[in-house]
Amino acid sequence: MPENTKLEHPILHTLRQRVPLFVTLAALFIMGYPIALLFGLPLAQRDMQDLRKWDRGTFEAAPLARIPETNTDTLQFTEGLSSPALLTFANEPVSTNYRLTDHQLALAAPLSPGDVVRWQGVLEPRDGGIYAFGDVPDTRPDIYVDGAHVKAGLIEANEVPDGQRTVFTFSVDNPDTDGADNNEAARAHLGRLLVDDQVIDRDTYTVAEVNRTTQVVLEDAPPFNSNVRTVQGDYAWLDTRRIVFNTPPARDSTVQATNQVMRLAAQLEGNLDGTNRTFTFPRENLLESDDERQLFVGSILLSNDDERPEERVDGETSVFTFASEQGIITLDGRVLEAEVDFARAGNKVTLRTTPARNARLRQHPDYVINDPTAGEVLLATAPLEPVWSSRYAYYAEPSCGQTLMACFFALPQHPVPFPHWIAARAPAFVQKFPVSDERNVFRAIAYTTTGTLLSLLLGGILGTMLAVVFVLVKPLEQALLPWVIASQTIPIIALVPVLLLVLGNLGITIQTSLLPTALIGAYITFFPVTVGTVKGLRSVDPLALDLMTSYAASPVAVFMKLRFPAAVPFFFTSLKLGAAAALVGALVAETESNNARGLGFQILGQVQSGNVADVWLLLLVSALLGILLVAIVGLVERVVAPWLTSGAGAS
Amino acid sequence: MTASPQARTAVDPYENVKPIIEIDGVNKIYDGRAGKTVALKNAHLTIREGEFVSLIGPSGCGKTTLLRLIADLIQPTSGSLTVTGKTAQEARLAREYGYVFQAPVLYDWRSVIKNVMLPLEIMNYSRKERRERATRLLEMVGLQDFHKTYPWQLSGGMQQRVSIARALAFEPRILLMDEPFGALDEITREAMQIELLNIWQATGKTVVFVTHSIPEAVFLSSRVVVMSPRPGKIEQLIDIDLTYPRNIDTRESEDFFHLATRVREALREVH
Repeated sequence: MPENTKLEHPILHTLRQRVPLFVTLAALFIMGYPIALLFGLPLAQRDMQDLRKWDRGTFEAAPLARIPETNTDTLQFTEGLSSPALLTFANEPVSTNYRLTDHQLALAAPLSPGDVVRWQGVLEPRDGGIYAFGDVPDTRPDIYVDGAHVKAGLIEANEVPDGQRTVFTFSVDNPDTDGADNNEAARAHLGRLLVDDQVIDRDTYTVAEVNRTTQVVLEDAPPFNSNVRTVQGDYAWLDTRRIVFNTPPARDSTVQATNQVMRLAAQLEGNLDGTNRTFTFPRENLLESDDERQLFVGSILLSNDDERPEERVDGETSVFTFASEQGIITLDGRVLEAEVDFARAGNKVTLRTTPARNARLRQHPDYVINDPTAGEVLLATAPLEPVWSSRYAYYAEPSCGQTLMACFFALPQHPVPFPHWIAARAPAFVQKFPVSDERNVFRAIAYTTTGTLLSLLLGGILGTMLAVVFVLVKPLEQALLPWVIASQTIPIIALVPVLLLVLGNLGITIQTSLLPTALIGAYITFFPVTVGTVKGLRSVDPLALDLMTSYAASPVAVFMKLRFPAAVPFFFTSLKLGAAAALVGALVAETESNNARGLGFQILGQVQSGNVADVWLLLLVSALLGILLVAIVGLVERVVAPWLTSGAGAS
Repeated sequence: MTASPQARTAVDPYENVKPIIEIDGVNKIYDGRAGKTVALKNAHLTIREGEFVSLIGPSGCGKTTLLRLIADLIQPTSGSLTVTGKTAQEARLAREYGYVFQAPVLYDWRSVIKNVMLPLEIMNYSRKERRERATRLLEMVGLQDFHKTYPWQLSGGMQQRVSIARALAFEPRILLMDEPFGALDEITREAMQIELLNIWQATGKTVVFVTHSIPEAVFLSSRVVVMSPRPGKIEQLIDIDLTYPRNIDTRESEDFFHLATRVREALREVH
């Protein structure tokens, strides 16, 4: 047994010596997680709370799925809708009693089809999925194909045709298609392409998905100021009489139109006592600037407009004239109270306090969104009938996710990535460039290491020489030391470009020579070496000097046999300090332009591309390199000064 | 000053031996921030070749000052001091003495044998000579197995033995020792004393030994110089006429006791 342990001894011993290192490494790795959360969660929290980073949702009144053909007391809706909801018929609330349970509505008394639906007419089919009305309908009715409701939709191109342009993009919602080359899927998502009211032959354009938008390349440029659009949904209106289907209905199917439809709408909460003007949407976080919002009181559609005063808000005027004689006055979005903040005489409004120059003064004739986060609206007059909406938009949920952690994971950049994410970057980094390329990470490490070691050599020699001179010639120290100190106060970041410029003029660039890196490193290293070695040379025990005096030793002998060896530990301690600093110097030097070598270049590259995990990876590599360099100095120290090995300093 | 110190050396066994250190009216005054300090006042002392002289006295009596004056590590303010018939500086340059400090003052970066060889290197002895002498001396001080050891790996007593070996390496005529055993424990100290006496008798060097231990002074010396502090001066010379070689029995003899008492009384007088 003892022999066994002796055999394993060297490895075990080395391992045991490194145990603290491994423990701290593991601790650092584990600590990385709470630190990552500490820095990342506030950002995730911000993303979660920033409404602008939320997905939008649109509420639209749910249309009937099927038109009942017989007397019925239940209606089936295509979409579920939670209470409070309102049954409307041709934009008027239905007075019958009903009970809503998810998709189904039970009526107290049966309705006959005639009550529910009045067809405006049957559409005539034309070529290519186009259907037309006999007459121009009063309003745009809902379209039914074989009794089933179909949805209309139209999206305009992001670009305006100028007669030359052939490439157009559409912000089509297409979450499924991923590949940019999946032409057919992209085509399906795009829908049929229209220029003005003409359906474009699908052979005359190509579709591709580029950067989350759908790109269409036409053979012929659409004329100037024409409308380039696609059909989104089941059909779209071509003009006042014609509609075009995305997929033409089957040959024998009937296409009908009506605007007499039973719908469900969202009813706003609030007292109908004739005095209350504040109502609340079923959903919070309303989009303030949604132009298509529809709000009804009873069957009357409220105006979504706001009126500007005729006068300019110049900071002096306090009497303003509006178009209509009643409405809610807001100043910079804040609702002003009648008789308190302003007095009204017809369409003239006199403000108590003159509004500041360029303040946003508006009159909302019918209503204003009072508190979008609470989904609260303020009506101009207290309604007596239900307030409801068939359409409105709201912030549905944070686009990053429902939970804080989901938002943390969805962060585009983590200030401190999880350690295993950083580690996972390593293989990609190694493989990014072949060893033959100077941008290969191993070559970068080797390059920086060589540069730093060279700078340590130079700095060590220079520093020691200076220290010897200082100790030998005291006046020289007094004359030069302040300048030596001053040399170190120059920020390295300022020095590096100057030095590189000077050397560059001599034809020595960082691309062709290690000299610039070495010089910069040496410039940093020599200072601690000088200071440390001077201290070391002076640190000699007075009795040891007496001993030399008693031997009548020559000054040279005193220097060589006493002062110098006594300074060795100081020298190496300083050199270790210098090693870390020289590495920084080398890294800074390598960040200079026109350089593609070394770790500094790699770090700069990743910083510029905003790749935080890679920057972290390189920082860790740099840190390990620093440890390695100090260890190399320590190794040299062991060889040069074997007496210093463990416990030597005890005496 | 009651009498000339020489007057008391009636039964001096070194009477007919030529003096090797002559100190005549030496004063040493330090100029410090707190004014002048008289470290040594009007010192007269003659030490003959082969003598073992101990300087004893309480702290601040100038015994170390006197030793350093002899070694030319400091220079007297006034008075004359000759060593082997030369001035102290000439004697130092001629490498006439080896100095052993209270601390071993070994160089950390040198192994034991290299520490012993240090003076020989400085004095340009041949490589062969250096090795031979160091080996011999280390054997003499019982450290033949520690050639390659570094000082910090040795005990205090061993370190001091290296330091003595080093002082003897270049065979100086005089050995100046400043409380060399001061930091050692009693047992080591007594062993070292016997070892030192053996070395002294084997080599016949003149030893000037500073101590504040009465038994040590009496046990080692052929003559004890009693000194007094403030200002430091030489008060009495006491001949120790115990026969050499001395051993453990010497410490228990009545003569030893009497002489120790004499030294003690002399010290009490001056204190």
